[in-house]
Amino acid sequence: MKKMFIFLIVFLISGFSGICSAQAAELDGTAILSQVDKNLQPQSYEMYRKLINIEPDGTKKEFVLYSVKKGQDKMVALFLSPASEKGRSTLRLGDNMWLYIPNVGKPIRITSLQSVVGGVFNNSDILRLDYGSEYDALSIIQEGDAYLLELKAKTNAIAYDSLKMWVDVKSVVPTTIECYAASGMLIKTLYYKKNKDFGDGLVRPSVLETDSPLYKGYKSVMIYAKIQKKKLADEVFSLNYLARVDELR
Amino acid sequence: MIEASLSVAQEEFSFNLEEFEKKSLSWGGYAEIKLAHAKVNKNSAFALLDSHGNPRVSLDRFTATLQLDGNYNKEIVSLNWVVQAYGSRDQEQWADEASIFEAYASIKPTPLASIDLGKKVFKWGKGYAWNPVGFINRPKDPNNPEESLEGYIGASLDLIKSFSGPLQTLALTTVVLPVQDNINEYFGAPDNVNLATKLYLLYQDVDIDFLLFTGNSRTTRYGFDFSTNLATNFEIHGELAHTPRQSRKTLNADGSVEIQEVADTSYLLGLRYLTENDITFIIEYFHNDDGYSEEEQDSFFHLVDDADDLFETTGDNSLYTKSASLSEGGFGRSQSGRNYLYTKITLKEPFDLLYLTPGITTIINLDDNSFSLTPEAVYTGFTNWELRLRFSMLAGSNFTDYGEKQNENKLELRVRYFF
Repeated sequence: MKKMFIFLIVFLISGFSGICSAQAAELDGTAILSQVDKNLQPQSYEMYRKLINIEPDGTKKEFVLYSVKKGQDKMVALFLSPASEKGRSTLRLGDNMWLYIPNVGKPIRITSLQSVVGGVFNNSDILRLDYGSEYDALSIIQEGDAYLLELKAKTNAIAYDSLKMWVDVKSVVPTTIECYAASGMLIKTLYYKKNKDFGDGLVRPSVLETDSPLYKGYKSVMIYAKIQKKKLADEVFSLNYLARVDELR
Repeated sequence: MIEASLSVAQEEFSFNLEEFEKKSLSWGGYAEIKLAHAKVNKNSAFALLDSHGNPRVSLDRFTATLQLDGNYNKEIVSLNWVVQAYGSRDQEQWADEASIFEAYASIKPTPLASIDLGKKVFKWGKGYAWNPVGFINRPKDPNNPEESLEGYIGASLDLIKSFSGPLQTLALTTVVLPVQDNINEYFGAPDNVNLATKLYLLYQDVDIDFLLFTGNSRTTRYGFDFSTNLATNFEIHGELAHTPRQSRKTLNADGSVEIQEVADTSYLLGLRYLTENDITFIIEYFHNDDGYSEEEQDSFFHLVDDADDLFETTGDNSLYTKSASLSEGGFGRSQSGRNYLYTKITLKEPFDLLYLTPGITTIINLDDNSFSLTPEAVYTGFTNWELRLRFSMLAGSNFTDYGEKQNENKLELRVRYFF
């Protein structure tokens, strides 16, 4: 009876540790990252966002954008407000980005680290592609109710050299992302907040906040009001179409 | 109603999408006032030419401008317009003008094709300050390259096709541009129908255009341009334009005026570079084959000098008349020389001052080393307001491009309100 009891204990312990090691082996950063992308946005969709830049004294400046995205590397954003920015549109095709200003009348190439709105969000934040299309998962560990992914940019054309991404285990959406330069300097921190049901099975954060040690006291906020699937022709994502983006609404 | 809200530092933000629902009629624009004080270069060729030997010491000008733009959409058709009116007052005169910059109908049956009919602006080319391949562009002011310009009346067809692979986009734009007595009369010789076409490729992350203009209003010309990013913060671009036959009015050393027929190959090379601390450099070298050499410009400036002497001593203004004709024929263009270097340096939001962008622009005539230098500061911190303070100074020895411009320096404040 005593031997049988010891055998049972050993069996249970070894079984439990086996389950634990199996769980650890199942933690696949690439798969989690892919799920994060899937949970944040459909493959082809339209979206309305408000960007708010908040200065240390509380002064605010707001921008409203309409965006469409298709596949992993095509995105367009159109400014609807304020009047001084209305009609401006930005296009991203992979690592290429252009800005169209109605008065200027022709698209000009811009870079991912610049910001067409000022404040802490730069162009790559506004025209963000899937994380999995830009970054490789180097490692993943579980910290309580969050996964911590260490991500490395696939090429040096990506705005941030590396990311530390905390992902909520239950909802598999990011909660905090630290963005680093190649030198190891922290450029900014992104905070995803307020999960919301956008319909059609899409439940994701509706608010993205950011701050940066480079902009002490400043804060920028992005509010997502509508994200829905939309069929889009590839030709929508071309320089010749930039003046026509409003027709998609 | 779709609404989202959040609290940041005890502050409540709301986002009411109903405010941004698409409407059939959309309109906007800006109102602007500009105050300028210019110190006149009293002995310069263009000051003498403008006043027949009696230029002012300085000129103060107030300008008010209103621009309205908008569109009306109904299914696959949209009507688009941009109109501008201004009035300006200085010690010399009052001037005003209202212009229709654009007024055209756009028919868009699919995302792959669109047809535009009416008056429309074309801004072809990749250059920031100059566009030698802009065969149907209105010439822009390198000191204000982002301002609205007036279009031409015509019809255009735009076709786009996207691909997967190294060739990502192919687009063909074809423009038919008639020139009659009251239609596009400033474009060139009347009673002709001209054709301009641009083939665009996005090939392996490089923007490439092949351009052609043909018709009898201007001579046939061919162009090529490109633009690409070498790194996330480093862009290069270039343009090449060739005109096999081009008429050119010039001044011989003996004072005679000659119409020459020449082949013209102009080109531009440029870059944009963003440093880690948010300083943007735009640098462009422009070879203007159609421009005048240092010797030709020198002859023209001496002619104006002689015109002034003749007028002062005898009252005879015949040389002034001849100089004015040559000025209109090409010497009076804002950049009439052969080789220029443009540099614009802007620093975004220095010392954590959000929405403030100080900058400095220089344009150097590389043949005679004369130049313009323009420091400025732009502030956009108040929603829908833009404030720009700019000081321009022009420098060069006698008988050089910038040494003979009308103004020695100019201080300008521009306040623009968008609605």
